[in-house]
Amino acid sequence: MGEEILLEMKDISKEFPGVKALDKIQLTVKKGTVHALMGENGAGKSTLMKILFGIYSGSGTISFKGEELKLSGPKDALKKGISMIHQELNPIPEMTVAENIFLGREPVYGKTGWVNKKKLVQQTAELFETLNIPIDPTTKMKDLTIASMQMVEIAMAVSHSADLIIMDEPTSAITDKEVKYLFEIIRSLKSKGVAIIYISHKMDEVFRICDEITVLRDGQYIGTKRTDELDHDSLTQMMVGREIKQVFHKEPAEIKEVILSVKNLSKEGKFKNISFEVRKGEILGIAGLMGAGRTEVIESIFGVDPPTSGEIYLCGKPIKIKHPSDAIRHKIGLLTEDRKLTGAFLPLSVKENMIMSGMNKFLNFGFVNGGKVKQSCVSMVEKLNIKTPNLNKLIMNLSGGNQQKVLLARWLLNDPDLLILDEPTRGVDVGAKAEIHKLMCKLAQEGKAIIMISSEMPEILGMSDRILVMHEGHFKGELSREEANQERILQIAFQ
Amino acid sequence: MKCKKITGLLMALVVLFGALTGCASDGSNADRKVVVGAAMPVFDDKWLSYLYDAMKDGAKDKNVDLKMVDAKNDSSKQLSQVEKFATEGVDVIVVCPVDTAAVKPMVNVAKQANIPIVIVNRIPPKDVMKDVDSYVGSESIKGGIIQMEEVAKILNNKGNVAIMTGQLGHEAQVKRTVGNKEVIQKHPDMQIILEGTAKWQRAEGIQLMENWLQSGKKIDAVVANNDEMAIGAIKALKEAGKLDETVVAGVDGTPDALKYVKSGDLDVSVFQDPVGQGKGAIDTAVKLAKGEKLKDKMVWIPYELITKRNVQEFEERWDVYNKNKSN
Amino acid sequence: MKNQQTIEKQAPVNGRVRVDWKEKGSEVVSRYGIFLIFLGMVALMSILTPHFFTYFNLINVVRQVSFIGIVAMGVTFVIITKGIDLSSGSVIALVSVMAASFAQGGHSLVVPILIGLGIGALTGLINGTIATKGMIPPFIATLGMMTAARGMALLYSNGRPIGNLTDSFLFMGSGDLLGLPFPIIMFLVMGLISHLLLNNTKFGKSTYAIGGNEQAARICGINVDRHLILVYTYAGFLTGIAALMLTARISAGQPSMGVMYELDAIAAAVIGGTSLTGGIGTIPGTMIGALIIGVLNNGLDLMNVSSYWQQILKGIIIVTAVLIDSRKNRKS
Repeated sequence: MGEEILLEMKDISKEFPGVKALDKIQLTVKKGTVHALMGENGAGKSTLMKILFGIYSGSGTISFKGEELKLSGPKDALKKGISMIHQELNPIPEMTVAENIFLGREPVYGKTGWVNKKKLVQQTAELFETLNIPIDPTTKMKDLTIASMQMVEIAMAVSHSADLIIMDEPTSAITDKEVKYLFEIIRSLKSKGVAIIYISHKMDEVFRICDEITVLRDGQYIGTKRTDELDHDSLTQMMVGREIKQVFHKEPAEIKEVILSVKNLSKEGKFKNISFEVRKGEILGIAGLMGAGRTEVIESIFGVDPPTSGEIYLCGKPIKIKHPSDAIRHKIGLLTEDRKLTGAFLPLSVKENMIMSGMNKFLNFGFVNGGKVKQSCVSMVEKLNIKTPNLNKLIMNLSGGNQQKVLLARWLLNDPDLLILDEPTRGVDVGAKAEIHKLMCKLAQEGKAIIMISSEMPEILGMSDRILVMHEGHFKGELSREEANQERILQIAFQ
Repeated sequence: MKCKKITGLLMALVVLFGALTGCASDGSNADRKVVVGAAMPVFDDKWLSYLYDAMKDGAKDKNVDLKMVDAKNDSSKQLSQVEKFATEGVDVIVVCPVDTAAVKPMVNVAKQANIPIVIVNRIPPKDVMKDVDSYVGSESIKGGIIQMEEVAKILNNKGNVAIMTGQLGHEAQVKRTVGNKEVIQKHPDMQIILEGTAKWQRAEGIQLMENWLQSGKKIDAVVANNDEMAIGAIKALKEAGKLDETVVAGVDGTPDALKYVKSGDLDVSVFQDPVGQGKGAIDTAVKLAKGEKLKDKMVWIPYELITKRNVQEFEERWDVYNKNKSN
Repeated sequence: MKNQQTIEKQAPVNGRVRVDWKEKGSEVVSRYGIFLIFLGMVALMSILTPHFFTYFNLINVVRQVSFIGIVAMGVTFVIITKGIDLSSGSVIALVSVMAASFAQGGHSLVVPILIGLGIGALTGLINGTIATKGMIPPFIATLGMMTAARGMALLYSNGRPIGNLTDSFLFMGSGDLLGLPFPIIMFLVMGLISHLLLNNTKFGKSTYAIGGNEQAARICGINVDRHLILVYTYAGFLTGIAALMLTARISAGQPSMGVMYELDAIAAAVIGGTSLTGGIGTIPGTMIGALIIGVLNNGLDLMNVSSYWQQILKGIIIVTAVLIDSRKNRKS
């Protein structure tokens, strides 16, 4: 098995106004194999898959099972044997798991159109059993954890009994345990002759499960290799086009006086008795699992959701922050965790996104001075190496990494003394990640204080001067850069 | 359908029960008050408010217990109000329909409860009328005829006419326009060159007239379904300096419109008499309640023509009426 | 200038973008699409009837849309914040009867104007406060105002028109200034002011920000509640202006005035490219949207198209205009 060609995409190109998203891409997938599609964010992976799944149309030819494939839409793709697990989950929260899985193809009584609920649940239970997924089909989607939702999404794709399954970042929201489940599912699908296109940023996963790897970069086809011909470094080089020796390269900075200190900060039901301080030139990492209360603490400090008790001191003086505008006035900046939900103004331009937190300094007699705005924004675009055709481009048309840079620029324009970064490199490609890290080091060297929350262990370990470990709303301990490692952090969290 | 029958039957039972208990007390009080249930379409309408007041006055004079309810321009609400009257066992039901096409179920309810029903002001279709005990009102079509005949007279039976209609589909809009057209058909030298709706509104009347004035057509008369639109047309004509050469006609004879008639801007209006209709409705209802025979099922309250010659008379009528009201 | 050059030069290097005339063309279409549709309609009407493209008629059309156009500008602000204002029509009626009652002589012109603008702004203030502080969706908050304001107008006027207005008051509806009707002047002036406010001030940028992402706007230090209240107040204020002019135009305060105007205003904004999903919309777009409705009304009246057909055609054309617009947006 494994030599019969299932899918052949030839010379696929796609243009969006202002961006050539794909330029003559090749992709050949063999039956019963797992084929990884790799590349930085914005390289064109998702676009290519959306073409394959019939969401977009593009130029070039696609042959599937030996026949030319012309799709009218996703429904057509499903019918012809291609299914897809999307990067973003689209569940209907008020419906049950079973209803979600069989949405639009529920078993019915005869030709009446009445849904046979019993059969629906039964079919779902059978499906879960074969996939080894421990979820009750009758729970409502909204009551599931993100990880469980992802598993349901996977089950949904499998339930179409497709010949080819596209998995777009299927492990972005699930834990190691569930990744194991997923890999078991993939192996069993493989043995049945199903082919899988696997998109992921996580290299170790790719090396564990995939047979072949195709790399895209900036909408160009770079090459296809067997997994055993590659290692981490050579794959990274293919993806980035340049060698990245160390992703987390921390440059030392001089650590000076305390700028912010927090005493006994509490918020009912969220966190309790949080005390810490951060110094100029320091990068303070806050580690912990999702839901440990890290985001709540920093949002509380920033005035998004003010604390119920406790004090905040800035340069030794007590301050009151009741609203983000107070924090901004005290020269604090906050890059939020979720770019789409609380960060970017998606329908607005790059320029407008940049100036929104510090408009006052661009005002002349109450009017926004366009020249001043342009000058500042252009300098930020250059400084942060933001890839955008012009400042009036809508931010939603940029890649994740560039969006994140724009949001960083928004705060840098305020020249803050303290920058709080919540998951600064989530959903950001390798290249941009390195650039953001470099920037953080530079800012620290300029004497700015940085608080960074990250769920990525290597990032926390690599970037922080000091690490606070948080668990279930409490600070459990503190580690210096030298004494910190993954085991000790977990030890402290769970002690 | 079945459901309706059952509720109808239940209702009849309730009414019967009410009637029996009512009878018991009747014996002791032969001259008891007649109870009239009046289902009205909408309280906040200027012209109708005069009709309501006249009904209340008439009720006072005839010692009638008048229960008046507001359907807020909602037909289904009106039906449930009529059903409520039927269950309460009023002596007569008076309805001014929100929608003349929706009168049939109301009439059925009244029939089943054996309560006489009087329709006022807006006339339902013929097949429904045969089950109605009496209709009190003016014939919208007559209003249109009277209005147009006067316009024809002023124009010496020839010229171009523009018809400005009310909200499309309203009974008054349809019938008044039909009346207008009937007259025009009789005069070969008159033709309708423009027709459009201004939705009963003055502001819309201005706009429509402005547009018509730009159409390059020669307009000898503007005939509007109500006075408000006619006043709108007058404003636009005045601005264009064409009012003197254009005849403008409205319907209703509102106090505001009378001022325009007096100044000569509005050449014709037609008075639909709310007081006559309101009083007539109560008179008829009382007769039906007492079992008297009606001379004619159709109680026509005539339209009256208003021109500069007789405008004084109508102004006095309003004055008297408003004075009474404030007392 | 120098900076601009750098960025334009830099872009292709970093952003794999080539300057492309086809793309430029599609950008022009997407940016000025609704304006082109408008020009197309004007051309079509001019061909269909010789009476359309005359100075007097064009002035006539613009004057007719200036009332609804001014209301629509406020509605544009509101919709950009992801809100909606259903109360404009009823507020017109309320302002109309209250201002008219002070414009019957005996008062200086300033009194009815201040009362009109004040009542308009006040209803907006109430709308905004209920929506934000009461955390009630704007649809419901303004629906409440729509019903209540109409009721108040009927109550205040006893359901009857208020006439006999002073000549100086009537000037606002029928007077000429600099050779143009006063309502047109106001339409242009308020259009310019609203455009500058929306595009060139912190107030305007914050309006877009809130519509684009309310949470993010808060984190950027914008006082979202206070801002929304101001936006609704401004919308109410503009409605007040339109109501005063409309009252003067028909020379009476009428409680039945402005029925369905809220929907026309919303239609004008939406035709002009304002997105109900928030964060998108412009004042010139809305002005064009209002003009499209006006041209349509006028052209169909000129051609004496039957009123039944007029309604059908208007429905079709409104949806088509927006459809073309959204199709083009989807492509990009």
